[in-house]
Amino acid sequence: RHTDAQVSEQDLVRDVVYTCQGIDGKHIKFDAKADGFVITDSVRLPRGARLLILKLCELGWLYRRIRTYVSERLSPASLELVGQAFGSALQQELADYYRLMAVLEAQVQQKAPGPGELAGQSTGGGSYLSLRRLAVWLAEPLLRMRLMAILVDNCGSLKGGALASALHMHRQHGDPFVHEFIGQLLEKVCLPLLEMIRRWVLEGELDDGYQEFFISGDLSVGDDGLWRDCYKVRQAMLPSFISPELAHRILRAGKSINFLRGCCQDEGWAEATDAAAAAAPGALSLTSPSGTLGTLVEAADQRISARLVATIFGRYRFREHCLAIKQYLLLGQGDFIQYLMDLIGPDLSQPAGLVSKFKLAGLLEAAVRASNAQYDDSATLDKLRVKMLEHGDGDRGWDVFSLEYQAASPLSTVFTEAVMLRYLRIFNFLWRLKRVEHALSASWKVMKPNAAVVKPGRGNQESAKTLADELRRCHTLRNEMNHFVTNLQYYIMFEVLECSWSDFLAEVDAAADLDALIAAHDTYLDTILKKSLLGERSQQLCKRLFTIFDTVLRFKGFADRLYEIVRDIQHKQRRREAEVSARTGAGQWGSLGGEDEHHESLVQEQLDSIGRNLDAIAAEYSSLLEGFTDQLLVQQHVDLRFLSFRLDFSEFYTRQRADRASTPLKLRWPGLLGGQL
Amino acid sequence: ASSSGSRTAQEGKRSVLGTGKSGVGKYSSAVQELLLIDDLLYAMGGADGEYVQARPKAGKLGEVVFNLDESMDLSLRELAKRILPLCESYHLIAHFVEVRWHYKHGLVSHALAAALRGLLQDYLIMVAQLEHQFRLGKLSMQGLLFYSQPMMDALGMLASVVKTALEDRLYGAGLLNLLQNKASALAGDKAARALLQKLVQDARAPYFRILERWVYGGEIDDPYEEFLIQEKKDFKKEGLRDDYRAGFWREHYVLRSEIPAFLAATAETIRTTGKYLNAIRECGEQIKGPDAGEDTRLHALADRVFLERINLAHMRASQQLLDVLLQKENLMGRLRSMKHYFLLDQGDFLVHFMDIARDELRLRPAQISVEKLQSLLELALRTSVCSADPFHEDLTCDVERQQLISQLHSSLRSGPDGRPVLDFTSLAEPGPSEGAPINISGLDTFTLDYKVRWPLTLVISRRALTKYQFIFRHLFHCKHVERQLCQTWQVHQTMRGLMGFTLMQPSYFLCQRMLHFIQTYQHYMTFEVLEPKWATFESKVATAKTVDEVIALHDEFQDSSLKECMLFWPQILKRVEKVKRACIFYCMVTQNLVPAVSLPDDDDEAERGSASGPPSRRPSVNSASSGGAYADFREQHKLRRELAIQHALQAAEDSGIEAKIQEAETAFNRDMMDLVVVLNSASQDEPYCAHLAQRLQGVGQGIAEFGMI
Repeated sequence: RHTDAQVSEQDLVRDVVYTCQGIDGKHIKFDAKADGFVITDSVRLPRGARLLILKLCELGWLYRRIRTYVSERLSPASLELVGQAFGSALQQELADYYRLMAVLEAQVQQKAPGPGELAGQSTGGGSYLSLRRLAVWLAEPLLRMRLMAILVDNCGSLKGGALASALHMHRQHGDPFVHEFIGQLLEKVCLPLLEMIRRWVLEGELDDGYQEFFISGDLSVGDDGLWRDCYKVRQAMLPSFISPELAHRILRAGKSINFLRGCCQDEGWAEATDAAAAAAPGALSLTSPSGTLGTLVEAADQRISARLVATIFGRYRFREHCLAIKQYLLLGQGDFIQYLMDLIGPDLSQPAGLVSKFKLAGLLEAAVRASNAQYDDSATLDKLRVKMLEHGDGDRGWDVFSLEYQAASPLSTVFTEAVMLRYLRIFNFLWRLKRVEHALSASWKVMKPNAAVVKPGRGNQESAKTLADELRRCHTLRNEMNHFVTNLQYYIMFEVLECSWSDFLAEVDAAADLDALIAAHDTYLDTILKKSLLGERSQQLCKRLFTIFDTVLRFKGFADRLYEIVRDIQHKQRRREAEVSARTGAGQWGSLGGEDEHHESLVQEQLDSIGRNLDAIAAEYSSLLEGFTDQLLVQQHVDLRFLSFRLDFSEFYTRQRADRASTPLKLRWPGLLGGQL
Repeated sequence: ASSSGSRTAQEGKRSVLGTGKSGVGKYSSAVQELLLIDDLLYAMGGADGEYVQARPKAGKLGEVVFNLDESMDLSLRELAKRILPLCESYHLIAHFVEVRWHYKHGLVSHALAAALRGLLQDYLIMVAQLEHQFRLGKLSMQGLLFYSQPMMDALGMLASVVKTALEDRLYGAGLLNLLQNKASALAGDKAARALLQKLVQDARAPYFRILERWVYGGEIDDPYEEFLIQEKKDFKKEGLRDDYRAGFWREHYVLRSEIPAFLAATAETIRTTGKYLNAIRECGEQIKGPDAGEDTRLHALADRVFLERINLAHMRASQQLLDVLLQKENLMGRLRSMKHYFLLDQGDFLVHFMDIARDELRLRPAQISVEKLQSLLELALRTSVCSADPFHEDLTCDVERQQLISQLHSSLRSGPDGRPVLDFTSLAEPGPSEGAPINISGLDTFTLDYKVRWPLTLVISRRALTKYQFIFRHLFHCKHVERQLCQTWQVHQTMRGLMGFTLMQPSYFLCQRMLHFIQTYQHYMTFEVLEPKWATFESKVATAKTVDEVIALHDEFQDSSLKECMLFWPQILKRVEKVKRACIFYCMVTQNLVPAVSLPDDDDEAERGSASGPPSRRPSVNSASSGGAYADFREQHKLRRELAIQHALQAAEDSGIEAKIQEAETAFNRDMMDLVVVLNSASQDEPYCAHLAQRLQGVGQGIAEFGMI
């Protein structure tokens, strides 16, 4: 209490300058409990001075905080580059601060002028320090320090791109000083990031040991998945001032380099990046992303993507492969498919277990040789293989046979296994459709020559007339089925495949990078799948369609049998006629008693069974078809209106349905009624 | 006053503290003055003193009142009291700077706080200088008051501004307006005005940065929602295509309720500039930035220059968007293509279509298959001249639920200025409750539709398309009536031989007059309304500067066309419909006669066919070679013809055709008169009605003449 009188303002000022550097002064000490500097109790001060000192001591507290943070950041244990840059930027600010403190320190030594002295006469002129003067001096450093403390508090724990993001967010301040200050800080912090971007974009090197960069690479992914799965944008590390589009372009540029280097063994990319680097000269700046960084990335991305696309088109002949797949897997090469089906049809009719893949491969080869496909590039044809699916009990060769196209790397990036699986689904569908069509035309081949054979014979008009009627019905039914299948095929082959193909080609021509190619191809496949009713939402419809196909195939078998029976009946009849004429010639009775009746009843029985079978198939077919067209109309997700319109272009089915609505169901099939009677 | 310095003051204080007594009154007034100056200097820096103590003002955040020691010399007290407002002002402003500097208060607050902080720094330097004088012993109370006078005014004024800002919680534009208003209110005080204007400039700076980005890049970079334009993200551009009420273009970017006064005059220009830029970006185009040499800084400019720059940016943006619309998207080509279809400017496809789709269109709306109509329409398009139109694939068709007139009726409202406007809100909701009227057919409800894509939806929005559809349906129905009448004429030609001229004469005349009416009416609509209006529209578009202008022109074209095609006049339209109905009735009557008249002939054939079997026809041809049989045949033919005439006359009489035609004629005459009268009465306000009335007068005169016959 006695010493306090000796505390001069100069001592206090010196103490304050010390505290500002985090050092305890004589009278002002850091108190860990209060977490701040306090004036020792023994010092008695005027209220105003005490308040002022405490206010100034805030600077010391802030300084301690920042220094601790900086030393943590710059310690050898912390290796994150961006964090380091932040630390060193803060360190630089602190250095400026030390310089100011040194100046102040020097001024503290100057004595304050006493009363009566003239200004300028005293030793230091006006440059002594009082508490009030110190407050003026320290106002700006205090602001700066506060700002740094805010940044340390809010962004200090972040790393990499996230740190840059946070800094950028804090830059959104209307105070020009704050704006400027954080701007400078940000420039420095972004330097390592910029370097990473530059290396990635121009050399494809991912130089990021501490997960700070906004692009991540997964080294475990092999060459096949390199494009799709290896590199990703790490959203958490994406600085907010880099737009998602720009980030995507950056990702693509580096990815393209890696793809060219890894999968295509192409070294030409270096020229492209050199050109890009030359096209965007000057220092990079992150804080104005539309500026130099944008140009560099754009130039690099454009050139490398162009290079990549050119390689894919030129060296790896993407278009040719797509066309080949369309020709063979999507049945575009009609003569080849026709021939193939003719050749392997008999083999495929056997149980799946007995079908030899080896033999089929030979037949495939033969089909290629015999059709226009032989003029196709041999490299393409080599990729065409027979594939046998897993087979279960009762499967026929038809169910397991499929064609496969083996695309080599790097095209396997586009034609991935999943994609090929989808092709397989389409192929199986088309193959089935083709098979049904094939079967129907085969039965036509049987029907046509036999139609003339069945003429009302002389003998028993009644049964012959019934037979002719049945055959006529069979014909009609075949025609009906054929109409359906042809129209469906027309729809799939032209409305779906060709339209999608022409859209696809247009998109491929416009594609500037591999992503666009992949996307174009995916949409192409998607449209086909969806429009050919193979999509998720038309599963029911597809199932029903397959049952229709099965019915048609059953009908084919039935028709074949029918004609055998017909021929059989005729044969018998002819024999009988020959017999009769022989007998008459021999002067006996032409027909023996009971023989006619016997024969007649046999024929009648066969005719009855034919009629019943035909009725059953016809009824099944028409109910299935009806269900199919009903469902077709409610499929809103694809443009199927024209298919249903085409199927019912003469309103035959509409009228049939209207008739049925007015007449009881059973009356519809007179044969059915007759069979029951 | 200069006898003692601060040291004396401190000693004095210490002695007071030492005795533990408060109050300065026991010192001599000279000591009192020194102590007081020291304390006041602290107080001027915002800190409390021993004898000058701050008390927070009750209920007011950040405001303080300084109290003086009671025991002070009275004259000193008075002097000190005069300085105290300065301390209070400083305190308040410092509080404002401290508080408003925080992030959440927005850019304008930050900038203002920074500017104020600069001023306060100057002020603190002044205080430090006063302290220097004090240490030199040169500062008296009087001197202090004198020196602090200029600051006192400035800070006092600022404090009042700051106080309003704090009390009214003004941020952003409000804050700027406050400063601006204060500045203009203090126009007389030069110094204060200059100071405030400097503050305004500083506070505006970040605002102008946002403005620059908006005007030159179309981006809103406004983290604290201060900018005068607000983006409403829930308006999607897709809405323009499907929704009658879509407000994407008008309401996507809106002005906030509070905008800075200095931008009020140009706010709309600024808004449209950025809006255009955004539309350009939505089209996938690169925005044309300012030219290389152009100065894009908007801050701290004279009003005139600022206005020039804004206008320049606006011109550039609107020009680019207009180019995109007119050149790249070929708007006029689109509109011309729509004109072919909706305004029947090349009607051959329609004739073909009406031929092939006749049966389908006769059905009730619910039974019509739109797919079938669509494919027929495509067929008609591909075989007509329209196949040369590159856009013809975008044309589709549809079937509405209601008749045109009832739909119009439900969507016509009278606008604010008494003029009719179309309000499509009622169309947006399907009205199943009313149920389709029974007696309408596809002919009444058929309509075309058109696939429009962004950015063309800006001009050809759902609204615009619906207006086109109205005109089309009206024209389509007129076309239908005309075709019916033409068919009736053909029927007349075939029946002339059978029925003779006298019987058919009134019918003939009626048919001609009806044709005259319907053709005149169509001619009026197409050649006197649509074509000239279109020509005007097209020539005006060529000189249009902005997209908004084009939209307005297109709207005007449509509205005036609708109006002059009578679609805004239900009372006239109803009469036209009535006349048309009379025409249709007449056609029906006449055409129904055909089977009745020609029935015997067919029956005869059929009877003979069924009686003698197929060979019956062949002999007649075969026997043509032998003369006798041929003569016989001719005789038979003549006989049959006479029989047919007999039958026809009989049938005509039976069906009461004359009476029915008479009825149709009366109805037609009556409705026609009615229409002309209404047109005449409407022509007072709408001159074009007089024109149409004049033309239809011919038909009316005909009425009089034929009436006499």
